Amino acid sequence: MLNHRFTKLVLPVMLAVIVVLSACSNKGGSEPSASPTGTTDSSPSPSASAAAPESNDDGLFNVSDFNNIKTNEGEAIAGGTLNYGLVSDTPFAGTLNFNFYSGQPDVEVLGWFDEPLLTWDASYVYTNDGAATYEVSEDGRTFTFTIRDNVNWQDGTPLTAEDWEFAHEVIGHPDYDGPRYDGGMINVQGMAEYHDGKADKISGIEVLSDKQLRITYIESNPSLITGGIWSYPLAKHIFKDIPVKEMSASAAVRQKPVGIGPFKVESIVPGESVVFVKNPDYWRGEPKLDKVVLRVVNPSNVVQEIKTGGVDIVGSFPVDQFPDNAGLSNVEWLGAVDRAYTYIGFKLGTWDAAANKVKPNPDAKMSDVNLRKAMWMAVDNDAVGKQFYNGLRWNATTLIPPSHPEYHDASNPGITYDPEAAKKLLDDAGYKLNGDFRTKPDGSELTITFISMTGSEIAEPLSRYYVQAWKEIGLNVQLEMIEFNAFYNRVGDTGEDDPSVDVYQAAWGVGIDVDPAGLYGREAIYNFSRYASDENDRLLAEGLSEKAFDKEYRLKVYKEWQELMVQEVPVFPTLYRAKVVPVNNRVHNYYIGDGTDMYVYNIAVNADKAIAAK
Amino acid sequence: MIHPPPNDIPLLQNEAFAARSPSSLTILWREIVRDKIALVSLVFIVIVTAFVYITSLVLDQEQIVRVDLFALNKAPSAEHWLGTDYGGRDIFGQLIIGTRNSLTIAFLVTMLTGIIGISIGVISGYFGGMIDNFFMRVVDFFLILPFLMIVIAFIAVVPKYSIYSFTLIMTAFLWMGIARLIRSKALQERELDYIKASRTVGTSHAGIIFKHVLPNLSSIIIVSMTLNLAANIGLESGLSFLGFGFPEDTPSLGTLVSYARNAQTLESRPWIWLPASSLILVLMLSINNVGQALKRAADARQRRG
Amino acid sequence: MGKTITRRFGIMVPQIILLSILVFLLAKQMPGDALTGLLDPSVDPAVIESQREKLGLNNPWHIQYWDWITKAIQGDFGQSFRFKMPVLDLIGERISNTVWLSLATLILTYLIAIPLGITSGRYNDTLSDRLITGYTYLGFAAPLFIFALLMLWLFGFKIGWFPTSGSVTPGLEPGTLAFVISKMYHLLLPATSMALITTVTTVQLLRSEIIDIKHRDFIHTARAKGASESRIYNRHILRNALLPIAAFFGYELTGLIGGTIFIESIFSYPGMGELFFSSILLRDFSVMITIILLYGIASILGALVSDLILGLIDPRIRIK
Repeated sequence: MLNHRFTKLVLPVMLAVIVVLSACSNKGGSEPSASPTGTTDSSPSPSASAAAPESNDDGLFNVSDFNNIKTNEGEAIAGGTLNYGLVSDTPFAGTLNFNFYSGQPDVEVLGWFDEPLLTWDASYVYTNDGAATYEVSEDGRTFTFTIRDNVNWQDGTPLTAEDWEFAHEVIGHPDYDGPRYDGGMINVQGMAEYHDGKADKISGIEVLSDKQLRITYIESNPSLITGGIWSYPLAKHIFKDIPVKEMSASAAVRQKPVGIGPFKVESIVPGESVVFVKNPDYWRGEPKLDKVVLRVVNPSNVVQEIKTGGVDIVGSFPVDQFPDNAGLSNVEWLGAVDRAYTYIGFKLGTWDAAANKVKPNPDAKMSDVNLRKAMWMAVDNDAVGKQFYNGLRWNATTLIPPSHPEYHDASNPGITYDPEAAKKLLDDAGYKLNGDFRTKPDGSELTITFISMTGSEIAEPLSRYYVQAWKEIGLNVQLEMIEFNAFYNRVGDTGEDDPSVDVYQAAWGVGIDVDPAGLYGREAIYNFSRYASDENDRLLAEGLSEKAFDKEYRLKVYKEWQELMVQEVPVFPTLYRAKVVPVNNRVHNYYIGDGTDMYVYNIAVNADKAIAAK
Repeated sequence: MIHPPPNDIPLLQNEAFAARSPSSLTILWREIVRDKIALVSLVFIVIVTAFVYITSLVLDQEQIVRVDLFALNKAPSAEHWLGTDYGGRDIFGQLIIGTRNSLTIAFLVTMLTGIIGISIGVISGYFGGMIDNFFMRVVDFFLILPFLMIVIAFIAVVPKYSIYSFTLIMTAFLWMGIARLIRSKALQERELDYIKASRTVGTSHAGIIFKHVLPNLSSIIIVSMTLNLAANIGLESGLSFLGFGFPEDTPSLGTLVSYARNAQTLESRPWIWLPASSLILVLMLSINNVGQALKRAADARQRRG
Repeated sequence: MGKTITRRFGIMVPQIILLSILVFLLAKQMPGDALTGLLDPSVDPAVIESQREKLGLNNPWHIQYWDWITKAIQGDFGQSFRFKMPVLDLIGERISNTVWLSLATLILTYLIAIPLGITSGRYNDTLSDRLITGYTYLGFAAPLFIFALLMLWLFGFKIGWFPTSGSVTPGLEPGTLAFVISKMYHLLLPATSMALITTVTTVQLLRSEIIDIKHRDFIHTARAKGASESRIYNRHILRNALLPIAAFFGYELTGLIGGTIFIESIFSYPGMGELFFSSILLRDFSVMITIILLYGIASILGALVSDLILGLIDPRIRIK
């Protein structure tokens, strides 16, 4: 549960802050949050082997050995209190509303008391299992939503279609200060006019009745139904008298938030803890737990908290601390593939601010594809994953990670580690050894600047390892470790790329829709490598075309795109990642990942107190 | 630990003995030799310093910071005397180079703050009047700055900082204590008859400052710089601990200690952080011992025999 | 006295303005701004740019500074970008934690320092004096953060006597007795860890004061008059020795600022230190600037308090 697509805030504990790839399709905050819905054909079945995953002989782990659903032990008791640890080294910001929040920690709080109206299946396509159902028109642009009758705000007021419309109006309001006015919002017909003050109403949104809403979108494509709809209503009866620019600071957001989820906020200690009590009128049914206590746990203390039973579950767990604690007797470890990858990018051009698109530079230092390929060949990511992460991060092959099992092309091996071949490739391409290092084909000196982010303790040795590996094949690479803000500034998040940067290491958290145009398209400012080609444009457009509503076709297109990226190497993925979380043995019905067909309100415990480790 | 930049507290403590302070450096030396603990401490400091500076000439620094994927977090062994860290880097080598770096920075900062502080202190104390007024306003301003926060903010600004930028940032906010101390002493000195006398004989201001005022203040200068040295080692390690100290690829005592923030390292891999922590403790203890002995020597009433 | 205070406040104003300019420039020099952390490919860069425009982040610094200072004078320190609430409200939420932590540390510092300092000064050169002096040397040399880390690990986790994070047990009603007790319980370990280290300066100071006063003439006179030893210590020596300690109270407060930053970070105690760090990392400039200013003002006031106490005690020391 509690999956978050928005891992974009700076989390200094991670290597290379994950920034979300939500691509213009995932529409900002259509957050697959608290209650992932599932289809029954969903992923790993709760197998019989309940024990903690065993490492193999080398102390290595594999994500496929983990369950993502907790094995229930004993009989659940009625009621009980669950202790949830929000692992973060900063307090949560406390913007407790889906329409306004911007940080990962807040999502974890939100997930307990609020939920989206629409839910989705394992391939992230909207389903009709949620608090609202939908029908699509023939041309795929007009959606008619029907809210279930028994869906109420936690203060007893029925949820209406107007609340849903109101959320759109607030986000589109010129005074709105949150991050949700994004590509998805602009895709609503009439939104831009409303935002610019040219219209009083959003023409594409129509309230049909108390419980029915119709939204017309400008463009229809496959990613509209995988996260392209804003499905978080805003309680109009509470917010209607608050000026838009004061909403995010208001008590209704920060102190007494009201949602539609299975638990209600009872009390908040700002930034550090929240107590929830069950919402007996929850539309799916009465929650099993009486109470949930959430508190912030520092990543450096999380192991102790888990050992002593101070918390039953945590939202995330620092993967480098897992191997030492794999054998904890009081928990079961759940694991799933994370929607993220680490990568190394090559600067191939600049950003043309006037034309709003990338401007490839054929004379860039890294413009020779052989050089880029050789640099990929030179690094042993398999060893990196095994040694630094005990197998919980592993060699990445393509730019669509295995968190999207259908779209990830497992048959594509990427480029494999082979330093000898890398040397040969460079020799053949004219990069001759001159002393320790190679020169450019024209005989001039070749010095490559590589920047990487500080943050986790692994960050520096990892980056240094890459520099060493490149030295092995004769490349003179200079490493600069810089902090998150400075890093993205130099890579070019505002379009002003630092020309001294040649290679950079970063990570993306990917959205639920696979469309990579937001990161690799010609018009994407976050296409930091500034790579563009006609073939790339074509494939990215095909992936969103009418024809791509046919899944087989879309699969084929993205398979080709993955291969193109392996051939062209504007960036190369280095590591895929698993997320693992410990769950106390007394907990029932807990799950992580999508498409499990399980819901928050069913979580229960089998004893009054958490079990401590022996 | 992080003590506030030594300003008013030591100043007022010193006030009591200042008037009677003897000028001869031999008294300081004699006091150290008499105080066995201080002597041992001094010898220890000299040995450690000499050892790390000489050894680090021999050590292959690149080899030490080299990442070895297949030797992560190894316990001490014949190959790695103090084990390795999470990057497979030898802790013993890092300890040597780290100690050298930490000492270098502490020395540099102490010297620089000393030079700036003494110059400003002597000038404003000796000349008094407008000059004094101006400098004291500047000092007052620097004293109200919340040291740690300003330094952290500065470090966040410098995009790529090195030992030198780090030294400069520290120096910029640590010279006031000694400036105030020296100023108050110089103020007293200039009222003394012999200074007035040499002025009437026509000795230049510079001559008086270098021949009379500074030599008379030498013991106080040495005492306060010694104590500053210990404080600066503590500051460096504290800032590194918070993640705002040395750049990551430059080992230092502080960065080694900061590994202990990881609970796993703290609990089960003591070889990473314990040697550096103990070394900081012992070094600071030794420097303080010497400093306290010097202080006693400078204060006639507490001198031991 | 009233005149002095007025004059001191007169100096304070330009100091604070200077400080605010310095901090403001620092903030502007940092790479990136509050919107850097919000990299999100689904948000049109033009929207982000218009937000920058709206927040005034694109104006030249002196215009931004002017906008900011004119509002600040009216008590509006702006909006925290990350927390989406007025900076003052945000600081209000956190400052009480830090104040309580500092207060508890201060009380513990004196509770430890006074008996130790007195024992050590009165019976100097005895075994107990040597032990106490040894402790002060050690405390002076031991880095606070290592000590605190070990305390947390030992008493928080290994023995489990104390809570290990936060400032209060979740779910208690503010204002109730249980709430207050829980707050104090959460404070105890961090405050003790810090006090055990910070107290050593005070112990040393008290000791040397007592030794100093012991040999003064008026003590000899008192003794000659036949006053009992305990009366001499309690009435004469202690009273005189405590005065300078009281005078350093203000500076002690300033010194605590540095310490709480470490302590809050180690004990995951949500206070101002933590807020400051995250505001730097996330480039939440309005928060960062306000915190530094606030601490600047606190240290000015601390110094003022010390000087005033000193002036009251010893009329010879005139404060300028």
